[in-house]
Amino acid sequence: MSLKFTFRNKRISGILTVLPKREIPFEDEMAHYNFPPAKSLKLKLAMGYNKHRIVEAGTNVSDLCVYGINYLLDEGLLEKDDISALVLVTQSPEHFLPPTSNIIQGKLGLHTDVLCMDINQGCAGFIIGLLQAYMLLEQESIKKVLLLNADVLSQKISKRDRNSNPLAGDAATVTVVERSLEATVIQSVLNMDGKRAYVLQIPAGGFKLPSGPETAEMKEDENGNFRSLDNLVMKGDEVFNFAQKEVPPMIEDLLEISGKKAGDIDFYFFHQPNKFMLHKLADKIGVPREKMPANIVENFGNASGATIPVAVSFNLGADALASTYEVCFAGFGVGLTWAAIQQELGKLKFNQIIYY
Amino acid sequence: MDELFGQLVELFEVESLDSNDNLVDLDMWDSLTQLSIIALAEENYGITVSAAELRDAQTIGGVIGLFEHKKKSRV
Repeated sequence: MSLKFTFRNKRISGILTVLPKREIPFEDEMAHYNFPPAKSLKLKLAMGYNKHRIVEAGTNVSDLCVYGINYLLDEGLLEKDDISALVLVTQSPEHFLPPTSNIIQGKLGLHTDVLCMDINQGCAGFIIGLLQAYMLLEQESIKKVLLLNADVLSQKISKRDRNSNPLAGDAATVTVVERSLEATVIQSVLNMDGKRAYVLQIPAGGFKLPSGPETAEMKEDENGNFRSLDNLVMKGDEVFNFAQKEVPPMIEDLLEISGKKAGDIDFYFFHQPNKFMLHKLADKIGVPREKMPANIVENFGNASGATIPVAVSFNLGADALASTYEVCFAGFGVGLTWAAIQQELGKLKFNQIIYY
Repeated sequence: MDELFGQLVELFEVESLDSNDNLVDLDMWDSLTQLSIIALAEENYGITVSAAELRDAQTIGGVIGLFEHKKKSRV
């Protein structure tokens, strides 16, 4: 039982990934953790931790997004006048108000006939953003939607939290979504469960519990991790059980709607929590692990809603300019939200990584 | 449940285990081993256990009892 969406004659025409230049190896941060190095190294191996990309202090979501969009404009890969909407999915907005997408519009000097929209979504942010982009494209006035998935959540993660810090990453992606001249069918399924909203959260810093000296106090949890109420906190075991229980039947559902068998799909580009969880998901769904890339956390870290486009840029690269693939995208996490899209992906105008 | 006993011996990387062994006294008792037991429960036994339930089980015998209880209540 899922909420279902069908879209026709639309496509992704390009994906650009913007990663911070700063790269931190796992070993450099081990001393912060309250665990013997040998145990941390064992965790590294099991989860597929290695190194991650973290922004310099002071770098925000709009910096990464504007850098990426200006790159596309300068390289002639995008025309300013074709941009009808900026859909920014982020959980690290620069302010409560104004929306960060409006700040990006202002920095780019776009005309006023552009829709700017911030969406608060995390792990499933690429799916939610794509759904919004496809819905906008039902309007004739909309030429191209820039879907921006950007987060710099590393600032909210305790360096002494071995549960979250090794896998955290910062990134922005620019996905151009537009109408297709070819007949395409895109299927999607979506579920949300707000009863489990606090499985992943940042307790303080909003209106309900503003940040202050008390919320900044570091406390040790039952596993020996230190964090404050200002930090992101994740119930790792519940996230694991949630994903293993909900994602496989959702994919089965989606494939049935799409009229495809698991083997018809060339790539399963899933959100990237860690290698351990993705391998278990691939096994449970019954697809070869090589069809479900799980190498983003070890190379760059998990940048929330940006992980799926990062995985596409990193794993397909320029191959996606010439070829076309049947893909399945799936995001699961914060909300809790779990959602997936089955569509064609290929003949892209660009699909690459640049560094900020 | 002999099979589970053997799997726990493997996960805790020890020669042998006793039902009365306290989890907190085992060198490998940490969040990674907890996750491995949670994954084992899901994959091999079709049951869902949480880290808190494992902690509350306290001993190896407690973990085995937890698995048995979950398997029964599943049917």
